[in-house]
Amino acid sequence: MTLQATHPTVPAGAVAPTRRRSRRARRRRWLGLLYLSPALLLYAAIVLAPLAQTMNYSLYKWDGVSEPSWVGLRNYLSFGRDARMLEAFGHVLVLIVMFGLVPLCLGLLCASLLSRAKIRGEGIYRWFLFLPQVLTAVVVAIIWKRIYAPDGPLNTILRSIGLDGMTRNWLGDFDWALPSLGMIGVWGGFGFTMVLFLAGVLAIPDEHYEAARLDGASRWQEFRYITLPGLRGQMAIALTLTITGALRTFDMVYITTQGGPGTATTTPALLLYQLAFVNPDVGVASATGVVLAFLCLGIAVGITRVMESKD
Amino acid sequence: MVTRRTVLMSGAAFGLLTVAGCAPQGSKANSTAPKVSATSIDVAKAGSVTLAMLDFWSGDAAKWVANAVKAYETKYPNVTIKRTSVDWGQLTQTANLRLKGKNPPDIITVNNGWQSLGTLAKAGLVLNLDPYTKLFKWDRFPSTILRQTQFSPDGKTMGAGSLFATPVSSSSLIGLYYNKSVLDKAGAAVPTDLASFEDACAKAKAAGLVPIGYSSQDKGSSTAILLALHDLFGDQGKINDFVYSTGSVKASDIGMSEAAARLKSYQDKGWLTKNHPGILYADAIDAFLKGKSAFRFEYTGTFAFKGTQKQDYGYLQLPQAAGGRVVGTGASTAVAIGAKCAHPEIAASFLDFLAGAQTAQFVVDNGLLPLLHDVKAPADNPEFASEIAGQRQLDKDNGYVPYFDWSTPSMLDTLGGQVQLLLAGRSTPDDLVKAVQADYDKFQSGR
Repeated sequence: MTLQATHPTVPAGAVAPTRRRSRRARRRRWLGLLYLSPALLLYAAIVLAPLAQTMNYSLYKWDGVSEPSWVGLRNYLSFGRDARMLEAFGHVLVLIVMFGLVPLCLGLLCASLLSRAKIRGEGIYRWFLFLPQVLTAVVVAIIWKRIYAPDGPLNTILRSIGLDGMTRNWLGDFDWALPSLGMIGVWGGFGFTMVLFLAGVLAIPDEHYEAARLDGASRWQEFRYITLPGLRGQMAIALTLTITGALRTFDMVYITTQGGPGTATTTPALLLYQLAFVNPDVGVASATGVVLAFLCLGIAVGITRVMESKD
Repeated sequence: MVTRRTVLMSGAAFGLLTVAGCAPQGSKANSTAPKVSATSIDVAKAGSVTLAMLDFWSGDAAKWVANAVKAYETKYPNVTIKRTSVDWGQLTQTANLRLKGKNPPDIITVNNGWQSLGTLAKAGLVLNLDPYTKLFKWDRFPSTILRQTQFSPDGKTMGAGSLFATPVSSSSLIGLYYNKSVLDKAGAAVPTDLASFEDACAKAKAAGLVPIGYSSQDKGSSTAILLALHDLFGDQGKINDFVYSTGSVKASDIGMSEAAARLKSYQDKGWLTKNHPGILYADAIDAFLKGKSAFRFEYTGTFAFKGTQKQDYGYLQLPQAAGGRVVGTGASTAVAIGAKCAHPEIAASFLDFLAGAQTAQFVVDNGLLPLLHDVKAPADNPEFASEIAGQRQLDKDNGYVPYFDWSTPSMLDTLGGQVQLLLAGRSTPDDLVKAVQADYDKFQSGR
């Protein structure tokens, strides 16, 4: 109406409506951006700007205070030759399995069990298993430091059931420190995946299960052909969060082992911290951060693609 | 819809932004030291001055500092010193940012070594104190102490050049603590040298007691024992040269391999606390205070001895294995003046006060070791008296060596990891020395 009023010369015809629509669409798009702008500005200020700054820093050799010197991509190239960094990425692979894949499998198992049968006090189990998610990483790390202590609960239990030979300094043992850290991740991630999958299972229509049962499907077949495909979205979320979480592991390692014994539990994020604050080499630290950020992005995109492509 | 084009375009824009962004902001050293016109400074006539001080002092140390601040303010009522205290890690890791910030501290405690004071000096974030050295006669301090805070203004030389921070009348050493009741149980006497120490360890072991209290889960603190042993085998001059990077002393030349071999032998003889790789530092400190072992190598000022513990415990600065001179790791706390300080001469006069005799008395009154001044120790504390006796021997032989981890920014981490490997039987003393040398070479090549 208003358009017509302002453009009285435009004849009513085939052209006008499309133009009107596109103009309106365009206006709507700008309006959308306008609505988004507060969040976008905030995001740009606290995420994009520091990211750009970090990428910029990663091209310099800089101790954080004195005159920086431009080194181009040399900081990135130095990764390949840095045995410590390569070792740290190797450790992260172990952590990815233990933080991501193991909780995923356990969560699936638990969700399929809990969703099928009515168990008394089910809510309490769920609450208990989800509890680690509510605790901050620092608290979790301190609790487990006690559990893993030479005279801590874990060794005490092992001794009380006659498994003295299995007791060890879990976090001080070169072979066991990394798996021990991984177990903390399993404990933390398991409740999260389970609650996520339980919610997902509840969203799968009962008719699908009924139909399957009528067709004589076994429990495994039900799980394989109904539950698993139905949880694809939740699995993508769980994997993305746990795997990127594993890549970024810092607080837990910093509090429990500081990367020790020796370098048995170093992670890229721990090295990043050391490079940025302990022995300032801001360029390499920034490069590490950028690589980690893009790895996380790549993994998130990859997982989403794989999960979407199955649809 | 986010199309591929949008992604590519925003990526490209972002990339451009990154590359076009100007270089990170650094600062250059002030090649010239501040000019001091007067031949003396009259603080009382300076008018009302407020100085902001950032430090890490807590516990007993905070008490003597508070006393010193109060005494200074009483002496000069026109000066107010505002203290802010943060923990050590936070202080050392954010010192450069704080000094560059909008409200930089006027006075700041800094860590020695390349990565801390060296970097700050190089960047001109702390003042070159040379002009005040004459004014306050700071050259009266022993050269071994002064050199701990000396750098060339370009930050390329440590242990010589201009003074960038001053010591305070308090020090911390690494030495051997013993528990008399445990030694009595083992039928061993208080040792006087390495041989009698090892003899006492053997006796304690035979009596079913733990000879040496130790923990190695925390990397940093696992090294105190190695550094203490290192002082018994290394040549003082060579250790100094290695840490200050003067000359071409090799890691194999400073007693490190002998110290590592000795430490490994203690492990093999079962003298160290069982399960030490799984024990936390704080728990090990607690265990020693509870009488769980005969000895522990530790930094002074760590243990808070109470009541009868003051009679039961004692401290030793063991003489070197050969020659019997006392060489030990010890240093004061370095205090610097921020480059943006508006009243550097007043700040310098406070630094001088912190290194003065009155402050030394406050330090001792709070049970910590003094530095530079001979002060009266409280009579009813034999443990503390033994620490002072140890320090006097060190003073007498002028046997101070700097903290070994000042040698490179990553040395403490390297050494900690190596000690863990060595005691787990995964490396040899030679490997440890090689790793120290590699860390050193890597740092020197980039210096």
